Amino acid sequence: MVFEKVRDMLAEYKSVDASTIKPETTLEELKLDSLDTVQIVMDLEAEFNITLETDAQIKTVGEIVALIESKL
Amino acid sequence: MIKTKICDLLGVKYPIIQGGMAWVADASLASAVSEAGGLGIIAAMNAGPDWLRNEIREAKKRTDKPFGVNIMLMSPFAADVTQVVIDEGIKIVTTGAGNPAKYMKDWIAAGIKVIPVVPSVALAKMVERSGAHAVIAEGGESGGHVGELTTMALIPQVADAVKIPVIAAGGIGDGRGIAAALMLGAEGVQVGTRFLVAHECTIHQNYKQRVLKAIDIDTVVTGRRLGHPVRSLKNEFVREFAELEAKESVTNEELERFGTGALRKAARDGDITRGCVMAGQIAGLIKREQSAEEIITEMFTQAEEFLKNAGRWLL
Repeated sequence: MVFEKVRDMLAEYKSVDASTIKPETTLEELKLDSLDTVQIVMDLEAEFNITLETDAQIKTVGEIVALIESKL
Repeated sequence: MIKTKICDLLGVKYPIIQGGMAWVADASLASAVSEAGGLGIIAAMNAGPDWLRNEIREAKKRTDKPFGVNIMLMSPFAADVTQVVIDEGIKIVTTGAGNPAKYMKDWIAAGIKVIPVVPSVALAKMVERSGAHAVIAEGGESGGHVGELTTMALIPQVADAVKIPVIAAGGIGDGRGIAAALMLGAEGVQVGTRFLVAHECTIHQNYKQRVLKAIDIDTVVTGRRLGHPVRSLKNEFVREFAELEAKESVTNEELERFGTGALRKAARDGDITRGCVMAGQIAGLIKREQSAEEIITEMFTQAEEFLKNAGRWLL
């Protein structure tokens, strides 16, 4: 559930096909720079109504999903 | 007189902060700006804790007025210098090149006012939530490390998005810039490039002369490929850097290595051909060396005049 939502948000943000985004896809592969990451964290917080640790070292989509799930 | 929330927040006469420029913003410049009624800033840049401690102590000898420290978050010593500002009783910290969230709790607990430099609305909102007392919204007109948005577009969007005061930076070099910044929703300004030619600025005279000679189209941004683009004045070094950057056979590591030490070479050794002469787009406006006090009073006198006369546009 969370993965699908995160995947779809990232796909929309980067204008890429959602099927290309897997849990092991890295933020680097998605060409997300530090400002994109901040933007996405803010969007995800609003979407899931949670607060994410902003200094967490996140490298993959799966890690984002795990972090969100730990907050739900 | 121009008075905004920033004056009370920082305990300064004029709502102006001096940019935290690496190899430029030392005790001499910071104390001169603070003595003149602005907020002087010492740039911790990539330096270790001992250098910063010495500069802070030197600035304290030269002024009783408040001054701050800029922490460059990509610095290998970021954690060490964070502790130095707490130990030395610094009351105001500005941050650059990243998200300061992980240090903010300690600074705020120590009674430090934290003012991060932000290049986007999302980061402004994030640092506000982490407890920032104000934000410096910096447009890509500025020198050194730059974001993509212009000051004109960034300031009103940040001002609408946060409740804390916004300080405008990027492209502000005279009183018109201050007046415009206030109209865009800012309550103060950060100025870097114009202070490069302050008498109290200790950079090499060659660097100052290069800034004074600069025209409007003289700056260029390089380093986008490395994720931290830099605006500087065109010269041999920048041309070569841009050529290497365009070559796919050159790795990012090689590019980084080519740029390492280039700012120091220009600012300290005066090699303005093979060094990196960082400056903002407003450099073309800057025509003479003045004391920090002359710069600040002139800018605010001019801003006041413009604001007073602004009614003439209204019928």
